[in-house]
Amino acid sequence: MERKSVKIFISLFLVFMVSCNEPETVVTDYVHTDGSIMRKIEMKSIESDAIKRFKIPDIQVPLDSTWAFKDSIEVSQKGDTIWMRTATKQFQDADEINRAYKSDSGANKDYLRKAVFIKTFKWFNTEFRFSENIGKELLYGYPVKDFLNKDELLYFYSPGDLKNSKESGPDSLRYRALSDSVKNKTDKWTEKNLVSEWIGEFSKLTEGKADSDMSVQSLKAREDEFVRITERNGNKLDSLWEHGIILREFIGEANALKYKVEADSALSIVTKRIFANFSDYSQKIVMPGKLIGTNGFIDSSRILLWPVKSDYFLTEPYEMWAESKVPNRWAWILSGLFLAFVLSGVIVKVIKKD
Amino acid sequence: MKQENENYNKVLNLLRKSEPVLNSTEDIEREVIKRVIQSNRMQVFFSELVDFLFRWVYIGWVRKSLITVSIALVLVFVYQQGIILRRIDMLSHQTITIEKGNLPGQADEIEKLLMVYKNSGKRFSSKTVTFSEDQIKELLESVNELQIKYKDLENLIDGDPELKKLIEIKLIEKKLIDNNHKKTNL
Repeated sequence: MERKSVKIFISLFLVFMVSCNEPETVVTDYVHTDGSIMRKIEMKSIESDAIKRFKIPDIQVPLDSTWAFKDSIEVSQKGDTIWMRTATKQFQDADEINRAYKSDSGANKDYLRKAVFIKTFKWFNTEFRFSENIGKELLYGYPVKDFLNKDELLYFYSPGDLKNSKESGPDSLRYRALSDSVKNKTDKWTEKNLVSEWIGEFSKLTEGKADSDMSVQSLKAREDEFVRITERNGNKLDSLWEHGIILREFIGEANALKYKVEADSALSIVTKRIFANFSDYSQKIVMPGKLIGTNGFIDSSRILLWPVKSDYFLTEPYEMWAESKVPNRWAWILSGLFLAFVLSGVIVKVIKKD
Repeated sequence: MKQENENYNKVLNLLRKSEPVLNSTEDIEREVIKRVIQSNRMQVFFSELVDFLFRWVYIGWVRKSLITVSIALVLVFVYQQGIILRRIDMLSHQTITIEKGNLPGQADEIEKLLMVYKNSGKRFSSKTVTFSEDQIKELLESVNELQIKYKDLENLIDGDPELKKLIEIKLIEKKLIDNNHKKTNL
C-alpha cells in the first residue's frame, strides 16, 4: 500500500513539476549573408494566467528588456484562447548570440549552448553554414544511435506534431508499433547510461583507494550484469539501494560497506545529471539563398524545424545545422568570358595552322 | 497591237546598244581604289587585333596553362553543381511535418521522469513519504476547496467597501499587537 501511494505521490509531483511556468516557445533564427541574425521568439500559452508565464526567468532562451515585444491573442480551432508574445532582436553575429547564452538568466541557463556561423567562398557559389549546438550532459553515456535503427532514430528525433499525426494517420498501427519500440529501447538506453555514468563517477570517487577489482575496467566489464539487476528489480530498486542490497550484489559485501558513501555520492551526481531540468522548445532556422543540407525537419511553411528536448543531448552534443548557397553571378560571367576567350584562341590557332 | 510591240522592241534595242556617257572616269577610279584600300585596312586591323589578343596561342606553356585552367574550371563547376544537385535531391526526400499549433505534449516527459525516478531511487526516498492513496485524494480535494473559498471571500470583500475597511483596520490592529508582543519579548 505504501509503495502504491509513493508512486501516486511521485506521479503527482512530476505532473506538477513538468507543468511549471514555461510557455510553448518557438525560436526562429533568420540568418543573413553577412552573418547577422534576426532572432524571433514566439511564446504561446493557453492558460488564463498566460502573462505570468512570459516572465524572463521562465523562458527557454536568453531574453531581456532590449528585445522588441508584441502581445497578441489568437483563438484556436477548438475555441481556446491562445496568448502570444513575440520578441525580436537583431544580432550582429553568432558571437553576440553566444554572449547572450553565457549571460542567460532564463529557464535553461545551466546548459551549454552555442551558435556557429561559417561562410565559405567557393568561386561559383558562396556557402553558408549555421548551427545551434547544445553540449552533452553525461560524461560516460552511450550514443542513442547504438540502440535505435535508422527508422527508430528518425522517429526519436521527430517533432511531437509529426509523431501525433503519424500515430493517428492511415498507417497508425505501424507508427504505434514504432513508437513502442522506440520507448522500450530508449528505456534500456537510459538504464545503461545510468549504470555507465554511475560506474564512471564511482570510479572517480574511489580512485587510489580501492583494489583492482574496483577499477573502471573491472566495473565496466560487469556493466551489463548491473543493468540486468536494475531491470530485474524495477520499481523496488530505490528501497533495495537504500538497504544496500544492490550495491552488495554489485561490488561485494565488504566493498559495499566500505564505499557506501562514495556509491551514494556517485548516484546523487548521476541523478542530478540525468534529471535534466530542461524546458523544451522548438528551434527554427531560415537560411539565406537555396538550402542544400540540414539535419532538421521542414515544416509546412518550408522553414527548418528541430524539437529541442533534454534526451537529444543527454549523451551526445545536439547540433541543429543547416547549409545553403548563394550563386556568385559575377564569377559565372567571368568564368564564361574566360572560357570563351581560351576556346577562341584555340580555334584561331587551328585556322591559322590550316 | 503588233505594231506597238515592234516599236517597243526597237526602243529597247536602241537603249541596250547605247553606252553611258562617263564625264569623270578618274573620279570613279579613285573612289573604287579608296574603297578597296579601306577594306584592306579593316582586314589588317582585325588581323592585327586577333594576332595581339591571341599571341599567347603561339607560346606553348601559356597556351597549355590557359587550357588547363579552363578544363579545371569546367571540372570544378561540374563537380560543385553535381554535389549541390545531389544534396538538393536528398533534401526533397526529407520529412515534412504538419504544424497543428498544439501545445507540446507532456505525457512523454512524465513517462521519462518516472523512468528516471524508477532507476535513480535516491531522489525520492520512500521513508519520507507515508501518504495513503486516499490521503492524497483528500489533500488535493481540500486544496481545491480552499482555493474556491478563498476566491469567494476575496470577491465578497471587494464587493463591500465597509467590510474591506473593517478588515484592513483589524489587520493593522493585529500587526500592532504582534509588534508590541515582539518588543515585550525582547
